[in-house]
Amino acid sequence: MSSEIIQVLKEDGTVSPLFKKETDLTEQDLKKIYETMILTRVYEERSLKLQRSGRIGFYIGCKGQEASHIGSAYALKMDDWVFPAYREPGVLFLRGIALKTMICQMMGNAGDPTMGRQMPCHYSYKEGNNGSVSSPLATQIPHAVGIAYAAKYMKHKIVSLTYFGEGSTSEGDFHTGLNFAAVFKSPVVFICQNNQWAISVPVARQTVSESIAIKAKAYGMPGIKVDGNDVLAMYQVTKDAVERARNGDGPTLIESFTYRLGSHSSSDDAARYRPEGELESWEQKDPIIRFEKYLLSENILTPESIKKIKDDAEEEFTQAVKEAEKVGLPPLETLFTGVYKDMPESLREQMEDLINEQKRLGASEDNSMAFPL
Amino acid sequence: MISLYKNLFYQSLRIRMVEEKIIEIYPSDKIQSPVHLSIGQEAVAVGICNNLLKTDLLYSSYRSHAYYLAKGANLNKMFAELYGKVTGCGKGKAGSMHLAEKSVGFMGSSAVVASTISHAVGSALASKRLNKNQVCVATFGDGASEEGSYHESLNFASVFKLPVLFVCENNGLAIHSTIDQRHSYKIHEHAKSYNLKSTYIEEGYDFMKINSLISETINEIKLTGLPQVVEIKTYRYKEHVGIGDDHHVPYRSSKDFDNWKSVDPLIQDKTLINEFSEKINAEIEAAVNFAEQSEFPADSELFTDIY
Ligand SMILES: Cc1ncc(C[n+]2csc(CCOP(=O)(O)OP(=O)(O)O)c2C)c(N)n1
Ligand SMILES: Cc1ncc(C[n+]2csc(CCOP(=O)(O)OP(=O)(O)O)c2C)c(N)n1
Ligand SMILES: [Mg+2]
Repeated sequence: MSSEIIQVLKEDGTVSPLFKKETDLTEQDLKKIYETMILTRVYEERSLKLQRSGRIGFYIGCKGQEASHIGSAYALKMDDWVFPAYREPGVLFLRGIALKTMICQMMGNAGDPTMGRQMPCHYSYKEGNNGSVSSPLATQIPHAVGIAYAAKYMKHKIVSLTYFGEGSTSEGDFHTGLNFAAVFKSPVVFICQNNQWAISVPVARQTVSESIAIKAKAYGMPGIKVDGNDVLAMYQVTKDAVERARNGDGPTLIESFTYRLGSHSSSDDAARYRPEGELESWEQKDPIIRFEKYLLSENILTPESIKKIKDDAEEEFTQAVKEAEKVGLPPLETLFTGVYKDMPESLREQMEDLINEQKRLGASEDNSMAFPL
Repeated sequence: MISLYKNLFYQSLRIRMVEEKIIEIYPSDKIQSPVHLSIGQEAVAVGICNNLLKTDLLYSSYRSHAYYLAKGANLNKMFAELYGKVTGCGKGKAGSMHLAEKSVGFMGSSAVVASTISHAVGSALASKRLNKNQVCVATFGDGASEEGSYHESLNFASVFKLPVLFVCENNGLAIHSTIDQRHSYKIHEHAKSYNLKSTYIEEGYDFMKINSLISETINEIKLTGLPQVVEIKTYRYKEHVGIGDDHHVPYRSSKDFDNWKSVDPLIQDKTLINEFSEKINAEIEAAVNFAEQSEFPADSELFTDIY
């Protein structure tokens, strides 16, 4: 079951003939996946610069894990649900969020749907059926299971998919979530992005199981280990699991075997705990480079079109930041709104007092957050 | 010397008779806390505790009377505790669901399902760090294995190689819900997903068999320092909480009940029952008297034993 690792796209950029024959991915699809991977990589590199220059407070990214989350999310329909961890911005791009909204979120300004109430990178995109990122690990697992249970109960043919890291498998929510989903045959797909590290704790200190995928066996569901840097395998394996779920055959656990090429977050320095040579060996397996080789060899893309995709992503980011920085802070009343449907009188009074106080004193400093690019 | 069989039988019968006494007293309302009886499950506690030293630490659930007694704690203090008296093992503040007796290594029991499993793991970590050759035991029901902290505890004990014995008393029920409504796994098989050694016994009435398996398991744990899981199938004779029967309600079958009773030594072995009853009864009467005559805790006790 779970020790062998599924791969479609080899490191040299060649693809198994069987996959080529049977895949439903069109050239259009492949391009779309590639563009999303590039946008996600650019988003990461540029956001880290924003953080280092003090324009956002924090960043947490997914360098090296683009294939893992974008390939898998591409197997979903738009009315399916996603419950992310915090390393899946590409899913939001696939689901149509505006880049500017993402950047506003990181800035915590009025363009952020959550109005600056969450940490940077804790996106919430209800319109795209994407549950909110939350800091406490593994809490998204029961959420995904719950919505899948509800969908089955209400006879909606939707599937829910959740992402979490290998460190999060040590949480109780992993166990209760998998057991519940298996007992009730809920239509849910569990994707564990095993990026080998939970901040500075290596996977060997997280579990002594042979693999993450093998844990599925205990719950009587299929467990599949897949090369997470192979975007085509991620798509295919997830598609099969989504189909199983949609057909009423219950949940699947997918272990995406991958690697975090960056630090845990902008607050971390991975060089302090990574063994020598580890990063370099995984850089050789960069999922974007591998996919690029394939797309070039198939003439789906050319060096010129690749350059244009990358330049466009950079330009799009630049424009989105410019626009995001024009957006002001969330209005003062958002300190009070968003909790009660009908605000209690006592709270309303406090809100009005504060607003009057601000009017009386005036804004203390320039809040435009404008920095020269 | 009294044979092993007789010894284990005596201990099991003593637990059963104590609980039957509780049933007798309970309608008088002198016992001030809910009671979760172990009748039908005594052999598990006896088979485990026979292999533990006083220095080995035991943690159980609210179904704790059997463990308290099997671990060698004082019967007078138990009845006093049930009566809420200051001479009880918890000065009358703990009640049936929170029995504990540190002096014999019965470290605690709790009403919150699964909550003491992680305590056993924590104490095993301490014992390993302090180089004590000690085994820490967590006992719990099948329902408890659904809790997140069960998973965290097994994983932690496995990764950190801690000397913990996890024993699941699988009575097939969590209050009213049957195991097939709740589990996607078999408990002893699920344990393997943590790379833990696990074993399973179906004859939860057979204290000899349980005793010899636990003896082997504890020896291995002391030798290797590695945790193990034991699942023991057993049968709860009474309702989940309280002193009544519940075989008339749809979730239970009286056929299963009859099967268990037909192999239960505490029902079948009339000779030994006759031999031991008198002595046990006398001990119980004395303990009940002790409880009756003890005082309730003073109001000032409300503020002690926390800090
Ligand atoms: C419940 C909880 N415990 C601890 C933390 C602190 N923490 C944040 S990220 C992290 C590591 C998570 O590792 P993993 O699940 O492998 O995800 P990865 O970051 O590698 O994608 C920890 C321990 C937290 N956010 N929530
Ligand atoms: C955390 C928690 N959830 C729910 C309960 C309510 N509750 C009390 S006992 C019980 C059933 C536990 O069943 P099991 O672990 O099989 O033990 P048994 O009672 O059969 O010995 C439940 C759900 C509780 N006490 N604690
Ligand atoms: Mg990780």
